[in-house]
Amino acid sequence: MAYVIVPRHERTQPLRIVPGYPQTPWRNPKQPLVRRPPTLSELTGPSEVAKRVKLLGGDIAGHGEAQAIGQLMHLKLRVVDEDGTPVGGTVVEIWQANGAGRYIHPNDDEHAPVDRNFYGAARLLTDERGLLELRTVKPGAYPVPTKDGWWRPPHIHFSIFGKVWLSRLVTQMYFPGEPLNGQDRILNAVPDTAARARLVARLVPPTGDPANALVFEHQIVLRGRKATPSQP
Amino acid sequence: MRRRLIPSGEATIGPFFPPRYVDAGANDLSQLEDRKADGEVIEIAGTVRQEDGTPLDNLVVEIWQADANGIYRHVADPRHREADTKFFGWGRAATDKEGRYAFRTIRPGAPEGRARHVNVMLMFSGLMRILKTTMFFPGEQANEADPVYRAVPKARRKLLVAREEALGRYRFDLKLRGAHETPFFDD
Repeated sequence: MAYVIVPRHERTQPLRIVPGYPQTPWRNPKQPLVRRPPTLSELTGPSEVAKRVKLLGGDIAGHGEAQAIGQLMHLKLRVVDEDGTPVGGTVVEIWQANGAGRYIHPNDDEHAPVDRNFYGAARLLTDERGLLELRTVKPGAYPVPTKDGWWRPPHIHFSIFGKVWLSRLVTQMYFPGEPLNGQDRILNAVPDTAARARLVARLVPPTGDPANALVFEHQIVLRGRKATPSQP
Repeated sequence: MRRRLIPSGEATIGPFFPPRYVDAGANDLSQLEDRKADGEVIEIAGTVRQEDGTPLDNLVVEIWQADANGIYRHVADPRHREADTKFFGWGRAATDKEGRYAFRTIRPGAPEGRARHVNVMLMFSGLMRILKTTMFFPGEQANEADPVYRAVPKARRKLLVAREEALGRYRFDLKLRGAHETPFFDD
């Protein structure tokens, strides 16, 4: 199946150099990025990535005595392409802070406690409907070590492979109604208001399964659509 | 025609990508499930630096390439049924404190209409979008005719060509900004 990838509208994607995000001016190219003709090389990509990486289960909140501290939540994530076609069988890497806003990572400092029942990572495959489900706790906000009081709002990170090399995506999902959303330098680096709104999950009525969990739905759109067959 | 959906906004991978996601052996493409891939094993290694020359630690590097015969393990390649079943084509590495990454792979064949090459992407804290580039091999006549190589302004093309440090050992340093800045693509 041939896939087509066309340039995106610039305003739907984040600025590369972000005011108030001190690392960005050192790390993003100064030279203009080069437009290239897509070839088979970029319009193919790794499939069955699960052959090379280890999947990790989608229930990361723990149970009973070993349940993580925080608001239990259930995420229903849907991955589609630009046609709206579900992207099934693709690896989605998920990582997040614990309920207090702390990551299990050598780069995180002592600003908030580790929760011994929470590591905060899941690596899952989407099903044929492009869906995956995650039982977790809602991540806490946390301060960024800059001098001017920037706090990250609660968010969850995703790294997704998709069908071809150019559909690879790293993104973050935010929560509705969070006061810190309006000030976050990463979320607000996306100039287009509607594009920012699409990065925010939707709270939906709880289903009771799993029990006692807030339920959020979120859709991620990967680059790429089916090529239109050329006219004879 | 159906309305097109707009691709989601990218974001930085941030400083907290779980170390366990850089699986042991994910940077070795020379074998798949304990079977050796066809072709010549090569090493691709280098250092990643930011504008002031500081090496970048914990930066994620991914590569994607054709097999020894220039075939991609992907349904869109018309020859994919002939692809080497012992070659996966994708790998991941993370840089160390000195900014170094390394892959073991096989020398890709030249795909139709292209010079032999390796696709490279970089993900890092402070990179709001994935940076994509392509590594070419030194001494290849086909480079000059390659459409991706030729898309880059002439003066910068040599920055896409790896250096052969020893037989089968290639060095491909990446500079994100400033002097000797690696050409990156916007697709």
